[in-house]
Amino acid sequence: MWPSIQYYCPCLSSANTLTPPPPVLASSSASFHSLHNLYFCEECDAVRCNRCVSVEVSGYYCPNCLFEVPSASVRAEKNRCARNCFSCPICRATLSVVASDPPDDGTGRPVTPLNNVGEAPYLLYCNYCRWDSSEVGITFEKPTGLAAQLQKYEDSAPESLEYERLKEHFEPFLRASSLSSSTHLLPPTSHHLHTSSATAAASAALSRDIPGISKYNPVARSRSGRDRTTNKDEMPEYKSRVEVGLFGQLGSGGDDADVELLRYTETAGEIAKLEQRWGNSWTTSLRMSELRPLRIPLHSKVSKRCPACRHILIKPEQKAQSVRYKIKLAAANYLPALSVGFPQTQAAKRAAGKGADSRNAGVMLAGITNNAFRVALTNPLYDPIQVRLSPQRVTDGRGFQVSLPLTPFSIGAFAEAWEYDDDEDMFDMEDDELGLEAGRGSRDKDARGRAKNVGVLERRANVTVVGGEVNVHKSYRGQVKFNMLVSYTYRSDDPLPSEDGAGTPSRAVVKTPEVKTFSFYTVVDLGPVLSKDDSESMQQV
Amino acid sequence: MPPIAVVCQDVDLKGDITIGPGTVVHPKAAIFALVGPIVIGAGCIIEEAVIIVNRRKDIMRIGDNNLFEIGCRVECPSIGDFNTISTRARVHNTVRMTNHCVVGAQCLVVPAEDETLDEYTCIYGPAADRRTWSGRGQVQEADLRTKHGEYLREMLPKFNRLRRSDGA
Repeated sequence: MWPSIQYYCPCLSSANTLTPPPPVLASSSASFHSLHNLYFCEECDAVRCNRCVSVEVSGYYCPNCLFEVPSASVRAEKNRCARNCFSCPICRATLSVVASDPPDDGTGRPVTPLNNVGEAPYLLYCNYCRWDSSEVGITFEKPTGLAAQLQKYEDSAPESLEYERLKEHFEPFLRASSLSSSTHLLPPTSHHLHTSSATAAASAALSRDIPGISKYNPVARSRSGRDRTTNKDEMPEYKSRVEVGLFGQLGSGGDDADVELLRYTETAGEIAKLEQRWGNSWTTSLRMSELRPLRIPLHSKVSKRCPACRHILIKPEQKAQSVRYKIKLAAANYLPALSVGFPQTQAAKRAAGKGADSRNAGVMLAGITNNAFRVALTNPLYDPIQVRLSPQRVTDGRGFQVSLPLTPFSIGAFAEAWEYDDDEDMFDMEDDELGLEAGRGSRDKDARGRAKNVGVLERRANVTVVGGEVNVHKSYRGQVKFNMLVSYTYRSDDPLPSEDGAGTPSRAVVKTPEVKTFSFYTVVDLGPVLSKDDSESMQQV
Repeated sequence: MPPIAVVCQDVDLKGDITIGPGTVVHPKAAIFALVGPIVIGAGCIIEEAVIIVNRRKDIMRIGDNNLFEIGCRVECPSIGDFNTISTRARVHNTVRMTNHCVVGAQCLVVPAEDETLDEYTCIYGPAADRRTWSGRGQVQEADLRTKHGEYLREMLPKFNRLRRSDGA
């Protein structure tokens, strides 16, 4: 869990404050995300998380046959694959269609090798648990269009018929009420300027009048009250197809039948497990032997939009076979990736050598002023960037203080992987020449003597490692967890600011206006504090 | 004339082992007759990294047309015909298998007491659940097993060195 670093998305903060909540609050975890879960909206110049983006379904497909189902027919097909894809009722594996065996000649072994053309009837067969559909009396005359052949079973189920009838019964009423609700619900929703039709429909559906429940709206109350009475009069009384309580005799197992079944059960294996019945649309028998194959549920591909400007942040390719994206504005391509760790000092070795049991004990020692840690920053941009770290002060003086290099430092540009090999030597040399506090020698010396851990420690390719220290107060117990503002300046691709310049070759002078700064908050978790007594007792153990 | 057995050179054989006609042993398989001998019937397929061990004094008899998939480990004192032991499954020496049994991928069959699996027993899933196979499709499966063996006997020698009949 620790050490870890997470990025802040301001979507949950009230008003326009950009500062994240104090990390000691448990609720703050909702605002922090790992970098790979975040998106970046170029239009708004802001980080977006999965919590604040609006999600739209961009297509449905069957995960087994990868058929793209047009959204119009998804509802008609009841969200399941309408072709040949079934899952085993026993073990959830995908069923395959097999032909029946040729008639047995008594010996049990075929004299001549079989040809590939099987014989009817065809069966659904699970290659994993050897279930086959003849156990529940399902066979097919031809091996194609199985779902259509099973459709009649499905549609003739009493629950399904009852449901259809209910839908039919309520449809005129629902249509009328949706019309009326959409008229008086539009004004409140219209202040969301950018809601898509889908979200509008969803919110309308959520706030729609439910018949028989008065709406919490003083203005509309009288009307809805009147509506209710009139509706009551308008609604014809619904008559169910079968008597209530008759379902028990329809093979779907009523309460009495279930009790009876359980009373005579000999092994637990006869009863279908919850996970075997979970995916069913209707109540099914408790008996394992009566479970029927299920059409495989469809999956959907979704695209996500920025909540503010409605631009698409991520959009998959339409084809079900493709795992690529048409648009993908992942934050990892815009923000430097930060990772935090501990140097291989004695404290870290102590913790690491103790094994898994003491892994949770912590590396930070109370009462020690120079608990070292490292932050490695990786630049995803094709240009070098200047980064400034500013850890947020912890207000409580008896807690801990974090020292990090506060002056800006640079991170090299990202290059394709093949360029690294040639450049590596150059970078090392550069470090030496520049006399940075880098290199292994100086670090080892630091570990022994008075630590000089704060500063840029290492620089290679597009990664820069900086060191920091935590001064933990003697009496402090708890997590060393602090917010950190990261600002970086980068050369903007946006040509607009420089367009008004002279446009002369002396552009190099005007380079500065092209530089932009972006800031984001992160939370750094360095784990719990280990008190001195604890560490000593641990060493004795 | 029955087809000869195909045993690759890179297999680990220890002890008194008899391999029947038409049986295919892939490279890197290990068959250890530590105490008693092992007798393998005809038409079996023993894939890579399979471990078959006999720790008992009695003969370990493996019947005909059994399939041992990659990385499974079998110590059963007796195995009938047409059984399948799937990838990385483990069958302990307390289990005797009859015919047409299936042990699913990565299933552990390690009962504490001696047990004989009934015919058409199918063991599957992470919890090693059991059910009985109806036996439908067994003719096709047997046919497939035969073809599988035929193909391997043809193709394996093209890519692997074989053990020549060293008294087997």
